[in-house]
Amino acid sequence: MKITDFKIPTRLDEALAALRDLGPAALPVAGATSLVFIPEDQPMTAVDLNRLGLDGIRRDGDAFRIGAATRVAALQKRHEPGWVLDRVALTLSSQQIRNESTLGGNICRVFPWSDFPAALLALGAGLVIRGAQEKEMTADEFFSSQPARLFRGGDLLTHIRVPAVGAGAGFGYKKVRQTATGFSLATAAACLQLDGGGIRSARAALSAAVPFPARCAAVEAALAGKKASEGLLREAALNGLSGLKFKEAEGMSAEYIGRLAAVTLGDALVEAWAQAKEQAS
Amino acid sequence: MSTTRTITFTLNGKKRDFQIAPGELLVKLLRRSGLTGTKEGCDEGTCGACTVNVDGRAVLSCIMPAFLAHGRNVVTIEGVGDFDRVHPIQQALVDAGAVQCGYCTPGLVMSAKAMFEENPAASDEDIRVHTDGNLCRCTGYEKIWTALRNVRDANKPAQA
Repeated sequence: MKITDFKIPTRLDEALAALRDLGPAALPVAGATSLVFIPEDQPMTAVDLNRLGLDGIRRDGDAFRIGAATRVAALQKRHEPGWVLDRVALTLSSQQIRNESTLGGNICRVFPWSDFPAALLALGAGLVIRGAQEKEMTADEFFSSQPARLFRGGDLLTHIRVPAVGAGAGFGYKKVRQTATGFSLATAAACLQLDGGGIRSARAALSAAVPFPARCAAVEAALAGKKASEGLLREAALNGLSGLKFKEAEGMSAEYIGRLAAVTLGDALVEAWAQAKEQAS
Repeated sequence: MSTTRTITFTLNGKKRDFQIAPGELLVKLLRRSGLTGTKEGCDEGTCGACTVNVDGRAVLSCIMPAFLAHGRNVVTIEGVGDFDRVHPIQQALVDAGAVQCGYCTPGLVMSAKAMFEENPAASDEDIRVHTDGNLCRCTGYEKIWTALRNVRDANKPAQA
């Protein structure tokens, strides 16, 4: 990335005006940990998003409101009932990267190493974007294709609303990589809402193994309304991904990665089920 | 061509102005300012040799644009200790035989310093997590972890 100038705005309206005026030459920056991977072609003006009050996490009713510039380390080090993103944060790269990378930066442009999209899809998160007006999108809308499309006009992601995982609900998250700080080969996230011994609803999502993060509709459909068991959960993951396209990775065939994704999703579903039983109302 | 810009930050306790190229990386600025204790290893944010502390957090100076340090508090290995005033973390690494070639050591000390400032009672697991971004090809980590556990144990108040 070729940064030929920078701006350090201290108010949101100032930052939005700078992004709008600079147009395609604007490079919004918070943690800056992805810049090393972006080729140096066009000269860009960096706009520092760290002084706009967009960091921090607070409980807001039955959800958490997370500023887009909140560091991954802040997600990692928060522990309280209903909060599950610590599990996702802990496996993202190294501590130094977690200290600088932001939740917004991990999701506004989906890179192969973006871990949070699958988790936010499974959790049914909401994404708050500020332009001329404020609007909220569902994670399904936000990740329907590369989210960077949403920010070309100078809009900014300001907050992420993540539902608390409450009574009768559980979250599971699994990421497979070859080294502790390596990029993911398969990332799976799942949320189950139990109703007695039955599954009232299931949400499941994959990333890394597939070309773009996505919900696993066939897996979800195979679980809703059924009596939960480990066998059912693993079978749904094994059978429910057959329609998806998988990527080759690090010398592994697409077929192998598909199998890895199914096993990983099964593990995530079982983890979600265990938490849901613990939190049975 | 890009013009030079001035930024100000506190470096090892002293507030200073720096002339930088807008895209200059923090590690380059530190090293051309004479602070060569911060090492350049992979130059892509993987090895941790360039770790410095910014506002008390361990960060990678090889991928951090220097302008992001404006107004911040930056501490490098030179601000921690040297041969005449050895920091307890450095002494613990020496005592445990946790240094061989030494290239990763400044970065490792900066990661450990940030961790212990945040949590002097860091668990064994915390120690592993907070050193996961410091690659050491010599020691195999056991002696490093022993050293850091010794620092943690020395932090504990004496039992009554």
